[in-house]
Amino acid sequence: MTAVADLPVYDSDQTRTPLVSELRNFWVYRRLIRLLVVRDLTTRYKRSVLGVWWTLLNPLLTAGVMYLVFGVAIGGRFGATEEPYVVYLLAGVLFMTFFGQGMLSTASSIAGAKAILSKVYVPAEVFAFATGVSGLANFGFSLFPLILAQLLTGVGVPVTALLAPIPVLAMLALVIGVGMLIAAAAVFFFDVLDLTRVFVQLLQYLTPVFYPLSFIPDRFLGLYKTNPLFSYLDNFRNVIYRGELGPAWQWAYMGATAVVALTIGVWAFSKAWRSLAMQL
Amino acid sequence: MSLAYVMNRDRAGTVKEFTFQLLKRQVTAERFLAVKDVSFEVHRGETVALIGRNGAGKTTLMKVVARVLPPTSGRVIVRGRVAPMIALGAGFNHELNAIENIVLFGTLLGRDPDEMQERADEIGRWAELTEFMDVPIRSFSSGMLARLGFAVAADVDPDVMVVDEVLSVGDESFQQKSFERMQSLMKGGTAVLLVSHALDTVSRVADRVIWLDHGKVMADGDPEDVVEQYRESVRRR
Repeated sequence: MTAVADLPVYDSDQTRTPLVSELRNFWVYRRLIRLLVVRDLTTRYKRSVLGVWWTLLNPLLTAGVMYLVFGVAIGGRFGATEEPYVVYLLAGVLFMTFFGQGMLSTASSIAGAKAILSKVYVPAEVFAFATGVSGLANFGFSLFPLILAQLLTGVGVPVTALLAPIPVLAMLALVIGVGMLIAAAAVFFFDVLDLTRVFVQLLQYLTPVFYPLSFIPDRFLGLYKTNPLFSYLDNFRNVIYRGELGPAWQWAYMGATAVVALTIGVWAFSKAWRSLAMQL
Repeated sequence: MSLAYVMNRDRAGTVKEFTFQLLKRQVTAERFLAVKDVSFEVHRGETVALIGRNGAGKTTLMKVVARVLPPTSGRVIVRGRVAPMIALGAGFNHELNAIENIVLFGTLLGRDPDEMQERADEIGRWAELTEFMDVPIRSFSSGMLARLGFAVAADVDPDVMVVDEVLSVGDESFQQKSFERMQSLMKGGTAVLLVSHALDTVSRVADRVIWLDHGKVMADGDPEDVVEQYRESVRRR
């Protein structure tokens, strides 16, 4: 057996800066994260008849209905989009579904892992992270119909699409950060998840998912753009099919909010852990 | 080391209720000290048994050692890999089958999932569950869960084993088998902390016994002495 001095030590007095030790935990527990993600994806895709298409069904149906209502029925009433509406809409719906689903699943990941967390020591953030990564994988699969639509409508796939991982990863950081904040609250108050659902819905309406930016009156535009999700979505749309980078401030805003969200979420979560642990 | 559970009377379960209570200044918190000023050490290869009445704080103490609960005050130092068996089926997902759970529990304890996958058959054989490896463990009896949990916990080669009252559900053959396995682990340096109500086994098997009552250490030392002290207190009740 290894010498006592070489063994890993748990010392309850030792507290490193939360962010550093959290990030280290994601690396240390990478095998568990991989197991959780793989298990989640295989159960999701193996046990349903439609397989991969099942998780796509929700956003595709939503996009379909929106297309019918806004794109066809109302027509160009509130201003047209520069690119084919189908592409504009799909990009919006898929990206924001990643946000919405990601937030909800991450927020419930801690309470959901209660059975394990109350009996075996595993840093709780591992579950939030694994859920976030599963959501990322699902988003990745959902990009296929988008690329397909881009090719079919002649919009094509510009070289800037290689930069698409940047807004996506920023979104992941945002989702994990805010998700963990909510997950901590959800252990104490069970209606937090319902409130989150409403809040997420609200944010989605305040982001140009199915309507073009021209829909917003000029005098509100400044205020409108303070919604961080606008920057995330616009950056994503710019690189994935518009072939341009867009304003620098949008990238800066996106990066800053992602880092702040992740830092605050992780920090608040570790502070709350003492009281959290006893609720499980 | 102490651990206080914060027990709220009329605890608000929803944000709405909590906000109202906050406004009406009704938020009071009662602290229930589940474990009070407990201090002890366990060394390599030692077996320490924890005895006491139900509600004495034994499981809480185990959870603190297993790092599941942080102490409210004081310091806890544990060196090495800890394999906890705090409840039947702890670390298991009841929807999955035995093999998948072996992989899951092993990975939770820090082992590589692929390695656990390879060792799954051998572990199942030790637990005498070979015919049931593909069965979802929600169908398992308590004895089977205990065998499976112990088999994995022992297999990960832990430095510390924290065993709550779960072994008592096993039959005689399992009791013997598990104690033999713990003996060999202890020879390799594993420290074992276990909770048991089987006082005769405890005096036979443990190097030291700690008697916990209402969260406090009443005695810590020679197994026969401490067990006798505990028995006295129960008689005098």
